[in-house]
Amino acid sequence: MTDQIHFEDITVGQEIPTLAKSVNTVNITMYVATVWLMDRIHFDYPFAVERRGLPHIVAPGNMACDYYVQLLTDWAGERGALRKLKVQFRSFMLPGMTLTCGGRVTGTRVEDGKGLVDLELWIKNDEGATCVPGSGVVELPLRQAA
Amino acid sequence: MASLLDELGWRQYIGKESEPHTGEPVTARDIRRYALAIDDDNPIFYDEAAAKAGKYGGLTAPLNYFSWSVGVPGAEKPVKDLGEDGLSSFVGVPDIPRAWDLGWVRGGEELEFFRPVHVNDRVTVQGTLVDIKEKVGKSGTLIFVTSEFTYTNQDGELLVKHLITMIATPRKD
Repeated sequence: MTDQIHFEDITVGQEIPTLAKSVNTVNITMYVATVWLMDRIHFDYPFAVERRGLPHIVAPGNMACDYYVQLLTDWAGERGALRKLKVQFRSFMLPGMTLTCGGRVTGTRVEDGKGLVDLELWIKNDEGATCVPGSGVVELPLRQAA
Repeated sequence: MASLLDELGWRQYIGKESEPHTGEPVTARDIRRYALAIDDDNPIFYDEAAAKAGKYGGLTAPLNYFSWSVGVPGAEKPVKDLGEDGLSSFVGVPDIPRAWDLGWVRGGEELEFFRPVHVNDRVTVQGTLVDIKEKVGKSGTLIFVTSEFTYTNQDGELLVKHLITMIATPRKD
């Protein structure tokens, strides 16, 4: 467990620690099997490539939200929490990619005694292109209230 | 010439609400396997002692698990009853007729998290089709269908609000 970060520690423009995620056929298969997602583009290579014109099987877009949840929940710590997440699916996450999930603080505010941090978010592929841009709101504990 | 959206007659479904749907109790195994699939090693997903000592007082699912805790309505069918894509009739919106005349991709989504899903929770989802828009561009016609889904637990507590936009295009094959 890392030390708890506090609202007062945050400055606009700062970047949060990145999270690396490897996309591979095993993780994708685990995902679609455990949630019962039977869309063939997620597990049937000939169907995905020959019938749908995709470069490979593709990771479910949902997994991008899970990566953002992990990035932001870990950053927020035990006393913080992810409140809002907005994502746009721009390009596919494919097996073999190592994704870099990151974010930058775009604003801070205190509402109803809660410290809220607005973030611009990205998931980039190996070539540095953003596959899934996003934004989020994270609540962090206030040091002065403790 | 009538637009594709007019031809489909979908505008009348804006504001339509789906029937509430309740899932079976969420198990520790569901959560553990999901955490493995997304490669998130936070012990509150699999270590009961650590989870009890944590802020939620017990095993909880990764926040984005919420929709799967209900299951995809209509997805659990024999293979012969699934479409060729492997998909069921569910496309992220309350049912609208002729949805499968088009191909669908996920455009984007907005999530607001209130509470996580706990082991043994029975989660209920209720959806409303909030907007349908049509855009005609160089590559053809795109139809944007936006729905809002509200997830609650067995105590009626709000878990997540989920706004999702699906994009439909005429099928090429």
